[in-house]
Amino acid sequence: MKALILVGGFGTRLRPLTLSFPKPLVEFANKPMILHQIEALKAVGVTEVVLAINYQPEVMLNFLKDFETKLDVKITCSQETEPLGTAGPLALARDKLIDDSGEPFFVLNSDVISEYPFKEMIEFHKAHGGEASIMVTKVDEPSKYGVVVMEESTGKVEKFVEKPKLFVGNKINAGIYLLNPSVLDRIELRPTSIEKEVFPKIAAEQKLYAMVLPGFWMDIGQPRDYITGLRLYLDSLRKKSSSKLATGSHVVGNVLIHESAKIGEGCLIGPDVAIGPGCVVESGVRLSRCTVMRGVRIKKHACISSSIIGWHSTVGQWARVENMTILGEDVHVCDEIYSNGGVVLPHKEIKSSILKPEIVM
Amino acid sequence: MEKVVAVIMVGGPTKGTRFRPLSFNTPKPLFPLAGQPMVHHPISACKRIPNLAQIFLIGFYEEREFALYVSSISNELKLPVRYLKEDKPHGSAGGLYYFRDMIMEDSPSHIFLLNCDVCCNFPLTDMLEAHKRSGGMGTMLVIKVSAESAHQFGELVADPITKELLHYTEKPETFVSDLINCGVYVFTPDIFTAIHDVFTHREDRANIRRVSSFEALQAATRALPVDFVRLDQDILSPLAGKKQLYTYETTDFWEQIKTPGMSLKCSALYLAQFKMNSPHLLARGDGIMNASVTGDVFIHPSAKVHPTAKIGPNVSISANVRVGAGVRLISCIILDDVEIKENAVVINSIVGWKSSLGKWSRVQASALLQINICQSTLRIL
Repeated sequence: MKALILVGGFGTRLRPLTLSFPKPLVEFANKPMILHQIEALKAVGVTEVVLAINYQPEVMLNFLKDFETKLDVKITCSQETEPLGTAGPLALARDKLIDDSGEPFFVLNSDVISEYPFKEMIEFHKAHGGEASIMVTKVDEPSKYGVVVMEESTGKVEKFVEKPKLFVGNKINAGIYLLNPSVLDRIELRPTSIEKEVFPKIAAEQKLYAMVLPGFWMDIGQPRDYITGLRLYLDSLRKKSSSKLATGSHVVGNVLIHESAKIGEGCLIGPDVAIGPGCVVESGVRLSRCTVMRGVRIKKHACISSSIIGWHSTVGQWARVENMTILGEDVHVCDEIYSNGGVVLPHKEIKSSILKPEIVM
Repeated sequence: MEKVVAVIMVGGPTKGTRFRPLSFNTPKPLFPLAGQPMVHHPISACKRIPNLAQIFLIGFYEEREFALYVSSISNELKLPVRYLKEDKPHGSAGGLYYFRDMIMEDSPSHIFLLNCDVCCNFPLTDMLEAHKRSGGMGTMLVIKVSAESAHQFGELVADPITKELLHYTEKPETFVSDLINCGVYVFTPDIFTAIHDVFTHREDRANIRRVSSFEALQAATRALPVDFVRLDQDILSPLAGKKQLYTYETTDFWEQIKTPGMSLKCSALYLAQFKMNSPHLLARGDGIMNASVTGDVFIHPSAKVHPTAKIGPNVSISANVRVGAGVRLISCIILDDVEIKENAVVINSIVGWKSSLGKWSRVQASALLQINICQSTLRIL
């Protein structure tokens, strides 16, 4: 089987992290976002993954070369020269996706994190015999999204309603599809939307089916959702393979600590924290609801919550970093500094406190 | 031998409202600056005057609020310090006059008069010598400030050679001078005659008013009780230019302690002064046996500070405070019985009596004058 991952653009919503790495390579729970998806695809027998990308394909391919051999999955890029929306990239990658097998292929939005129940999806697809399957997920506020209206018993999709003002349902498109090759015949090579132009037509022919995604789902394309996504991911990890989570008197809740990270005396870590490889957390540090990327040093008595600390940054003694502070790569927060929601671009030294959420260029 | 007495005006509970909420729990004159009650600083400056016989604190707080302090400071300095309670506010000159018999009981040749809410190095002995040379009735401490800030104070003009006070005006609307009144004076006993003259003059005018319904009297004068005499408007302004009042200019620090924000700044100034005058009061620490200390810090002997804490600059820690492991304190006043738990940080703040700060809590204000004040018994977790 094959899969297409819609990587898309510059990942501007996840700046300043995406100023240093393409978004799919930004770690989530100590693993590049895209590897979560590629590993899950491999597990259900996918042998070739096509990345639909519109910038820096070399960086991506160089990085993924190691994983191609390690995972035994062929990884290629299909580069857009102009943004083609959510359907156009499928037409562009048509030749890579079609082969003699006639098997359906997966399409994933690269920002989406979930338990990826691909096996169940394949079974669902075979069972309904339609042309396309989509995953839907239940949300609290459907008016913010495109709602999928479906027949509850069969999953047959009736229509799509974009940002409904009146309640029509609470299931939204989760950005995970399984499509027959024939769907490609419906897509022209031009900027076009799969949700608005392709799926409604298939639904009208009663060949589109929706499956409610079991487990959690989160679009982690922006910092707040990235932090929430980590909580959901770690909750799920606790249920599936809790041995990967850290234990000890200094840990509360779900915490992921890379084996090469060092943690000092008298720290309190958690809940919902990921600490990357090579990090040094000195004594008396408090971490909660945050991600600490590779090579970071957190000095004594610092306190970090609801924040992302970018690669190789340092946080000084008695510093306090909170409220959606995002430190880019190689940022240095001096001793005793307070950051309240500071978004700091790479290679900066922060010498005075950031009292209100703002961008530090 | 000529004797000297000192009078410190401490005000009362209806004064100093700008010092709230700190003045709710303790009389403002007893609020600690650099670990010592505010009034302690002028008192210890008075102690250095040769032949000082007595110190009087005059105010309208209840006697019991000052009883403990007055008895302990008298013992400590081996010098009589007495609190005299006014039955009502009389103004600074009126208050002095009200207690003239007690003030004059040792027949002093000179009387110092100090406002409690000023923070300076009180060069009292130098003032006294300058005063004796001038041959006048009184000498006031003055300082040059920026032209923009002068209007908040009493502005004055002095003769550049003789230092005589030529003109005095309280909080003028237009710029008069960048030389201001520091609220520290030395007088000969003739000051009582001058105050008495104000009473007599006022009674005369009051009589005129009663007889003739004379409308042209100043509104301010009309509203004041007969025995209320202000030093600035009623004595300094009228006597300026009459070869009775002289000035002594200080070039050292001077601040007025009106707001809680100023108390942190003044605490820093007094701590810096300790370094020169009383270095034994400043804490030292290397971070091994006791907490590491940077800059000027006062730690009360009864306070317990963990060796891994880092304290300073400009910190004063009062009695029975407990500071936990890994705590960081910068520019703050920690009042009695506060508990600060592990790894907490306090910056630019005053932490009120019996408050408790939880582990990794942070109390911080952006600048000294916008300080945070943690109310008493507050618990931050």
